[in-house]
Amino acid sequence: MLTTPWVCRSCLSRIARPLIRRQLRHQSTSAASESIPPALLSRARNIALEHKTLTEKLANGFDTKSAKKLGEYSSIVRALEKWDKANESVTELTSLIHDSTTDPELRDLAADDLGETRIDLINASQSLITSLVPVHPFAHLPCLIEIRPGAGGSEAAIFAGDLFRMYQAFCNHNGLRTSVLKYENINGTSEAGIPLSEAIFEVETENAYGVFRCEAGVHRVQRVPATETKGRTHTSAASVHVLPSLQENSAAQEDFDDPESDYYIDIKEVRQEVMRASGAGGQHVNKTESAVRLTHIPTNTVVAMQDSRSQSKNKEKAWALLRSRIAQARREKREDEIVAMRRSVIGVAKMGRGDKIRTYNYGQQRVTDHRSGTTVHDLDDVMAGGQTLEKVMDSVRSWLMERDVEGLIAEEGDTN
Amino acid sequence: MPRIPTALLRKARTIDAFLPALLAPCRDLHTAQNELRWLREHVEKVAKARRAKRDTLVKGALLGQLVRERAKGKPLQYLLGTEYFGDLEIKCRPGVLIPRQDTAASVTHLAKLVRTAPNLPAELRVLDLCTGTGCIPLLFRHEFTSNRKDFDLRIVGIDISDKSIGLAHYNLLKNERIIQARAGMTNFAKADVLADPFGDLTIGAPLPVRSMLNHNKWAPFWDILISNPPYISPSAYWKTTTRSVRGFEPKLALVPPPKSKFDDRQQGDMFYPRLLKIAEEVEAKIVLLEVADLEQALRVAQLAQKLDVFDGIEIWRDEPDVSSSQPTNEDGFHVYGEGNARSVVCWRSEGGSWLGKSSSPKPPELLQDAPEETSSNSYWPPSYYQSNEVNFNAMPRFMWKRHMGDQRGKPPTRWRTPKTRWREPA
Repeated sequence: MLTTPWVCRSCLSRIARPLIRRQLRHQSTSAASESIPPALLSRARNIALEHKTLTEKLANGFDTKSAKKLGEYSSIVRALEKWDKANESVTELTSLIHDSTTDPELRDLAADDLGETRIDLINASQSLITSLVPVHPFAHLPCLIEIRPGAGGSEAAIFAGDLFRMYQAFCNHNGLRTSVLKYENINGTSEAGIPLSEAIFEVETENAYGVFRCEAGVHRVQRVPATETKGRTHTSAASVHVLPSLQENSAAQEDFDDPESDYYIDIKEVRQEVMRASGAGGQHVNKTESAVRLTHIPTNTVVAMQDSRSQSKNKEKAWALLRSRIAQARREKREDEIVAMRRSVIGVAKMGRGDKIRTYNYGQQRVTDHRSGTTVHDLDDVMAGGQTLEKVMDSVRSWLMERDVEGLIAEEGDTN
Repeated sequence: MPRIPTALLRKARTIDAFLPALLAPCRDLHTAQNELRWLREHVEKVAKARRAKRDTLVKGALLGQLVRERAKGKPLQYLLGTEYFGDLEIKCRPGVLIPRQDTAASVTHLAKLVRTAPNLPAELRVLDLCTGTGCIPLLFRHEFTSNRKDFDLRIVGIDISDKSIGLAHYNLLKNERIIQARAGMTNFAKADVLADPFGDLTIGAPLPVRSMLNHNKWAPFWDILISNPPYISPSAYWKTTTRSVRGFEPKLALVPPPKSKFDDRQQGDMFYPRLLKIAEEVEAKIVLLEVADLEQALRVAQLAQKLDVFDGIEIWRDEPDVSSSQPTNEDGFHVYGEGNARSVVCWRSEGGSWLGKSSSPKPPELLQDAPEETSSNSYWPPSYYQSNEVNFNAMPRFMWKRHMGDQRGKPPTRWRTPKTRWREPA
């Protein structure tokens, strides 16, 4: 009888794993390629078609919504045209080279040209992909950056202060206007030089949210703290929140004609009813009803007004009421979105050292971003908010873009 | 009229003791409550004014009296003294027709169309016939000047009733600041729209429109003609008008005067041939005539079509500015808006572009029917052109001297030969 010898469980599991684990980089920036995923290409073609119909529609009558959409699409259409051109010339050149009847001199010329055209094509496909990725809806806004110490006690608080100074310096270098909204140290005062407990500052420049969006998350530090007496390296963390700053810009909100405004209502979307006599009307009756009813069709908001004897005054009041109701609903929706975003950016439980987005290792003078996989070794320049920090942030932004592209492809795959 | 249910009366009483009485003219609780609220506000206002004069007023007694009068059917507008016409508050007095919301909608729509027109003359002239309280001239000026200040707007309102001319002047005074009226640019005068300019004049009777314009030395040519004439036929007056209209508003403003050999319908339409004739005479580019219903609108539109001077004719409903609805087609005329058919709009030459109608100058059927006109087929007697003399029948006697003066035999410069082809009056 054949019996299997007893093998210890840990040894068994050891066999299953390869002896030498290969260090794989799971996420990193890949080299730019000239090919475009077919899903994306078909999406671009669809958009180009829609662009065409929209242009025709706008030629007949103005409509704010389609005009806005047209503006969004035009960059995609332009990029697609460029890509088509480059693609065509590449195929033409390759066919020239592979054609046996071609004159050898011409073939050499074509081969020379091919390299350049290839680069053009790569650029064109890059720009097409970039234009296809939808811009973050709040990217154009100024932003609020909030820094709080995470795990690691007072060392974390000291590091939070370092981060605060780093971002301030970065803004100074790049000419971004900032204003500190709140600065509180662990003693509860705003005196500098004492470990930070909470800092909030606003970057007032437009597009700031697009720039700093990649900074949100837990920043981990590995160093021998100033408070350490025995020379041990500690790992601590500080959290950074980045939120779009939606200033209550009263002047812009009062502007009813501005489609960006909360108070903007497309007149075509409102059904207006006035009380009319059921009979002959005109000189036959002298009715006193002056009630006006407005219905906002997309949201099904109904406003009725009958206070005044003047129909036009009632109409005015009803419009004002409808505008404020719609604006209120929009504001609430936006606030909900922000709350959802705040939760998704950083959960309450995700403040530990493990869920870091970036590590600042003082011992090795190294900064590693864990999302893009970029490592730089000029820690001092990073902490001074210099070029190196810019480089890291750039890599993260392009990583975010890649995620968006992947999402797009997945989305296209679902719909097709 | 159905009887008001006792349950409703009881319910009204529990809300307010005055409400059951108001249910009689209002018919439903909602309207009655609104009217009572407005009456209360009015009483408060009167009481405040009296207090300022160190006078006292028993509010309850005044309110009770007003409610009693209203219960008898007296229009609320006469009780409160005003009615809102578009953005304007127009004073109302018994003896003059109360302005209607439907008229305001048409006039506002017209003013909004015209004020955005690109090729307006330096002085736009608007003539309103049968003006009543003067509400149409005032509202047109208000709507027009609210975003066009680069043009002069001259408006004249004409009515046959002295009461209404007085009230129109008063309303002009009251609304002067709101409508930014410049002195002399808005006028009201008494004239008879129905009077024949060539008929014999009786002493003391109002002048025909054309003679009146001459008499006041006002321009003979006008760009826009608006009118809300009496248009209810005698039978409709007894059938369709409400009791408060019949009992308290002037019949003069509602029903055209009786004339021998005219049947019921002809009497109701009596004003329109005359109005269109005047429009022709003053060379109006746009004509806006209020009508009772779709049947009358079609009759008036056909009448205008027969005249063959207009480039286009269409019909507006109670709310012509409802943009969502597509125009319907009735007997070859486009009908715009929602509600009852309320006005007939005719235009010619520049009038089409003022209304934004440049694309379709003439409906095809009009082009086909248009006969080749001959110069002999004119409105004025042929002798008028040949004799080079003034037709003295057409002007009042006291004006003869002014015209004769030292230039006997020469035609007055203001009476130029009409540019358009005229036809014999029907």
